[in-house]
Amino acid sequence: MNQDLRSGVRHRLKCVRGAALDFWAQRHLVRALLWRQWQQRYAGSALGGLWALLQPLAQLALYALVFQWIFQVRLPQAGANQPYVLWLALGLWPWMALQEALVRGAGAVVAHAAWVQKVAFDSAWLVVAAVAAAFALHALGHAVVLALLMAGGAALAPHLLWQWPLTWLALLAVALGTALWLAAAQVYVRDIEPLLPQVLPLVLYASPVLYPLALAPEPLQAVLVFNPLTGLLEPLRAAALGWGPGWSAAQAAGALALCAGWAALGWWGFHRLAPDFEDAL
Amino acid sequence: MRPTAAAVARAASSAAQTPADDGALIVLRGVGKDYPLARGWRRWRLLWSAWRRQPPRGALFTALDDINLTVWRGQSLGVIGANGAGKSTLLKLIAGVARPSRGEVQRHGRVAALLELGAGFHPEYSGRDNALLACALQGLSAAQARAALPQIVAFADIGAHIDLPLKTYSSGMVVRLGFAVLTALQPDLLITDEVLAVGDEAFQKKCMAWMERYLADGGTLLLVSHGMYHVQKLCRHALWLHQGRVQAYGDALSITRDYLAWHERRAAASTAQDESAALHAAGSAAPYRVLRWWVNGQSPQAPLRLATGDTLTISGVVQASDGARPHVAVGWARADGSPLYGVVSDMEGVALQRLDAQHHGFALRFEALPLLPGDYELRLHAMDAQALRLFDQVQLRVQVRANTRELGCVRLPHSWLALPPAGMADPAIGWPGWPACDVTAVQRSWPRQP
Repeated sequence: MNQDLRSGVRHRLKCVRGAALDFWAQRHLVRALLWRQWQQRYAGSALGGLWALLQPLAQLALYALVFQWIFQVRLPQAGANQPYVLWLALGLWPWMALQEALVRGAGAVVAHAAWVQKVAFDSAWLVVAAVAAAFALHALGHAVVLALLMAGGAALAPHLLWQWPLTWLALLAVALGTALWLAAAQVYVRDIEPLLPQVLPLVLYASPVLYPLALAPEPLQAVLVFNPLTGLLEPLRAAALGWGPGWSAAQAAGALALCAGWAALGWWGFHRLAPDFEDAL
Repeated sequence: MRPTAAAVARAASSAAQTPADDGALIVLRGVGKDYPLARGWRRWRLLWSAWRRQPPRGALFTALDDINLTVWRGQSLGVIGANGAGKSTLLKLIAGVARPSRGEVQRHGRVAALLELGAGFHPEYSGRDNALLACALQGLSAAQARAALPQIVAFADIGAHIDLPLKTYSSGMVVRLGFAVLTALQPDLLITDEVLAVGDEAFQKKCMAWMERYLADGGTLLLVSHGMYHVQKLCRHALWLHQGRVQAYGDALSITRDYLAWHERRAAASTAQDESAALHAAGSAAPYRVLRWWVNGQSPQAPLRLATGDTLTISGVVQASDGARPHVAVGWARADGSPLYGVVSDMEGVALQRLDAQHHGFALRFEALPLLPGDYELRLHAMDAQALRLFDQVQLRVQVRANTRELGCVRLPHSWLALPPAGMADPAIGWPGWPACDVTAVQRSWPRQP
């Protein structure tokens, strides 16, 4: 029994090591796919890669116009230099990354059916590239927007510096795990892709992205706490605006481990279905 | 000489994979492949059965069944068969793109599949970007891909187009680039599907030359082609698939000939059937018919097996119920029914020998039959006394086999002549002499190739 357990663990470790080696061997493929994603978005446009900076700035300007000048929204706890737009920006860009990663990731395998049917390679990298590209762009946008807000005099705590990358990393793992499940299912049942745009707004309103958790009715708050986005976005805001302690080291490690576990589960589920993709494409 | 990146990759990959002791690269045992035909809600059930690793239920299309095949290191195997015979599915299983529904597929070594030239090339990106990504998909590392790129550009030979988007390419250029990527991979086993059917003649020659060198260097090739010429030239062995099963496996030359003959017969079957049926129906009631006949003194048994250059004697008895002296026609046709040669006794002033009031005998001999390997049909017809109308028809399938690679269906008598030393003129053999002839004039008068 003990022997079995030990060999089982050794086998698992070998699998993990194999996946890591695999990733290292295929990093070139991931880079090439990412480069292609970048080209897909901006090649052929006059401004090119500049759009990666202009898009978030234009969005920020729009939100500032609507919420700050027209509606003049203010949050109760907000300090002197903490406008609603600052609070919104902290949560909105991670959400946009998640949303785009899920939509693009879910369709990644089906969109590249020609490769999957003709070339023997691990199609999970298609999903990885789609998710990673969405995250890279929106994380860059987020950084630019926050830097601009700070330059404009917004008060942000230095905690943000270490919690920001960790939150993004955890969110990336969540998105990757979910996108892998969705992409594998999408190969068999094409209902996933039309269903996703209907479900994602629901998730948006069930998350503390547009309004703070405190504004939701009491019974709903108890449910929203279990939304992984609550656990990721609220501490980030608390740390950034100085409203709370933010993540402790143990909390950060725990959150990262949970999210990484979810990503690993998605990786496993995807590869359980992947050998039969060619039948269903 | 420095080894190329591709050669290094090949050496590294073959070292990493444990090759089979007996030199088998690919082993297929009892392999079958079913495709589910599920639609709508049934696809959810398909997802569920895939998750549980169970064979899908419901309507299935069996693309391949009961395939046993071993591909040895250094072998060149052609896969032939009609459309829908399962060739591409077989290649997908071997390449590892699809999983077999039954049986097992063993792979030893690095397999590169070019199931379609330029598969996954994107029209918006430059040839260089597309080539790099194709290399990455086939498992080359960044350094290997960069090292292979000059080789790819040189082989594709499309000049400045390499940096233009693929949508500006002609279809021939896309194929050139696709094959050029293949040449850079240098795998243990190369799988190509209808690669040589496209591209212009010069490029096809280049591809053939590359494949021949690849084979000479010990590479293993799996070639799917409808061009029997390519299979005969590049492959030692051939596998004939028919409706998902192995119809024949063996020497490429004989399998391709059987396959071509089968095609000819199938094409002829529809037209020839009603024609001969009409003659047969008329035969029993006709005033003239071939009553009995013999080949080399024996009753003919289909198929008659011959070798090129054999001597064949045909004899027989023609019945003429009206007592007139009938004629006989002897003809050769290819398996598809197209005529090769025909002769009537009347043409050569031969009269059939009267045996009794109604029966007449004949015998004729074909010396050193010049038919080349293939399937043919030998036909006999009874004709009236004026040799104007065909009455009866009897036929026999003939298989000619020989160890020759001459092309066509008959061997024309010929000989190769020796030129005088130093290319001096020799009017006796129609040789104008090399130093005497004006090279530029010859070139100018050469008909321009289209």
